[in-house]
Amino acid sequence: MSVAMSETPTNKYTNDLRYEVFNREFMPHIDSMYNFAFRLTMDEDDANDLVQDTYLKAFRFISSFEQGTNAKAWLFRILKNSFINDYRKKSKEPSKVDYQEVETTYNSEEASDTTYTVDLRADAVQELIGDEVANALNALPVDFRTVIILCDIEGFTYEEMAKILDIPIGTVRSRLHRARNLLKEKLRSYASSMGYDS
Amino acid sequence: MNAPLNTPSVSEEAEKKTMKHSCEHHAECMKIIQAILDDEATEAEKDHFRENMDKCIPCIEAYRLEKCIKDSLTLKLEKKPCPQNILNTIISKINS
Repeated sequence: MSVAMSETPTNKYTNDLRYEVFNREFMPHIDSMYNFAFRLTMDEDDANDLVQDTYLKAFRFISSFEQGTNAKAWLFRILKNSFINDYRKKSKEPSKVDYQEVETTYNSEEASDTTYTVDLRADAVQELIGDEVANALNALPVDFRTVIILCDIEGFTYEEMAKILDIPIGTVRSRLHRARNLLKEKLRSYASSMGYDS
Repeated sequence: MNAPLNTPSVSEEAEKKTMKHSCEHHAECMKIIQAILDDEATEAEKDHFRENMDKCIPCIEAYRLEKCIKDSLTLKLEKKPCPQNILNTIISKINS
């Protein structure tokens, strides 16, 4: 499995340097990594395993990490790949929606995009508490959830997201746009069930 | 005394008349609004935003909503600390 952002086999890591880089560059991101793992798997045990596996892989493949590049993006990419390869198949996530199916649906409804509006007011969103926002986010299919996590929660740029997800920037943009439309629909149902709707 | 009181309301009235109540390119504007909020807009998108966003009511409302959702995701969601035992396991495994 390729885990490198950019494969430059020129990096020479002495044994001491491996530990130094690991502690200095990788460990500060462990809370973000844990939260990403938890939001992907939605299961504490799976999140624990995923973070642990990712950090052990990162250490093992540390020579393909180019110092001075974005360590957080590099780690997120490994975690995302591990999730897809090792966890998604045995995911406990109920009512899993096939991403391809969702994307096909949305692509085929491109025309409806032009008139797309969700009857949701900013004031209603402001009233929602964190758990309600989290539930709306968790209700999205994982690929849509992922782009929102990376962009809005973790603050990655589109370019970094493209590298983490192995997709072109144009796809990042369009997937994010669709993810946000879906999220608005979920938020609207929360808002109206809480009586915040207009 | 009358003039200063009247002046603002007259200009507000004039402003209302120039405001757009529907947007003919709203889907495109939505993409631009999101790119602006993500700090990823191109120069052309920024120009479009500057020229249109103060006179198009649907876009102003959409901007407020998108910003509010983004802020909610950034600020309201609980961020858990990684459990100490995972940290310990990782450290002991790479040192073994």
